[in-house]
Amino acid sequence: MSGNACPMEPDVVRAAAMNAWPHALRSHIESCQECAAAADVAPWMQSFAEVDVRQTPLPDPALLFLKAQLLKNTVAVDRASRPIARFQIVAYLVVAAGWAALLMTRWTTIASFLSSLTPAGLMSKMTSGGAASLSMSIVVTVVALASMTVMLALHTILAEE
Amino acid sequence: MSAAAMFFDAPFATAQTAFGKPPQEPMDEAQFEAFYRRSAGRIWSYIYRMTGNPAVADDLMQKTFFRFLRSRPVIANDDHLRRYIYRTATNLVLDHFRESKHEAVYGVLETMQAGADSRADRGELRHDMMRVFGELKPQERALLWLAHVEGESHEEIGEALGVKAKSVKVMLFRARKRLGDLLQKKGLAP
Repeated sequence: MSGNACPMEPDVVRAAAMNAWPHALRSHIESCQECAAAADVAPWMQSFAEVDVRQTPLPDPALLFLKAQLLKNTVAVDRASRPIARFQIVAYLVVAAGWAALLMTRWTTIASFLSSLTPAGLMSKMTSGGAASLSMSIVVTVVALASMTVMLALHTILAEE
Repeated sequence: MSAAAMFFDAPFATAQTAFGKPPQEPMDEAQFEAFYRRSAGRIWSYIYRMTGNPAVADDLMQKTFFRFLRSRPVIANDDHLRRYIYRTATNLVLDHFRESKHEAVYGVLETMQAGADSRADRGELRHDMMRVFGELKPQERALLWLAHVEGESHEEIGEALGVKAKSVKVMLFRARKRLGDLLQKKGLAP
């Protein structure tokens, strides 16, 4: 079998499907196995194609067009919100890591500050004036992390709504 | 990537810019409707003959047109649009077979038989035809349908199936032989 298609093949398919054979084509299929194979199945394929099998009407093109537009918009929204979702995940991780780092490195300071918030601790602070207190850097860090946590929580709730 | 490959992979808006031509307006609703009315029936028949299941054919035909619309088609060349939509339909059908491999091997015959049985009053001939065609591989069905019913050239079939025209020649020959043998075996040969 050579590399290119036999140039007679379309004519052979047509002739076989219509069962109208010019002499030249009939003699051609005796020497061309490709066209002979095409001629063997062409009438059957023609009959098969003519069998009408669709029972219901095709969907309305206007409806398909509308659905496609809606689908396109949904896909566009999904695509646009993908970076925001990624940023949100990163923000969750950063805030969680921040809280973990703060608690691990400053736990003793924070624990003693929290224990001083009991009535007994407050009394002792008022009498002696030397109770545990937090440094400015810890207060700033706690305020920043708390703000970020609240913002993230609000963003998540509002985005879901 | 060659210019031809770029054209083939992105046949619409991007294709024009790839060739340095100004981009054209994408197809509007009226143009889509006209194209749909010209091609949907044939696409459905093609998918139905490939899958043997009318419900799957309905579903895949809609997906084909959704994907077609998502590619923002322009009215540049009707033949090109037709080839593109056949390629899309073929890919969706082959994906469908890949996703449900068990069904692809056994289900096609069963659904083709069931479909034919339910319409037995329309004749035994259709029943036999659907069964015979269902025994071919999906790619063989696509090759035979495109070559004999759609009258596509080897190049066009190659584009629709994503294979080289020279491969189409060999594959089509084998598909014809296989169908011929099946027809002989079932006593349906002309």
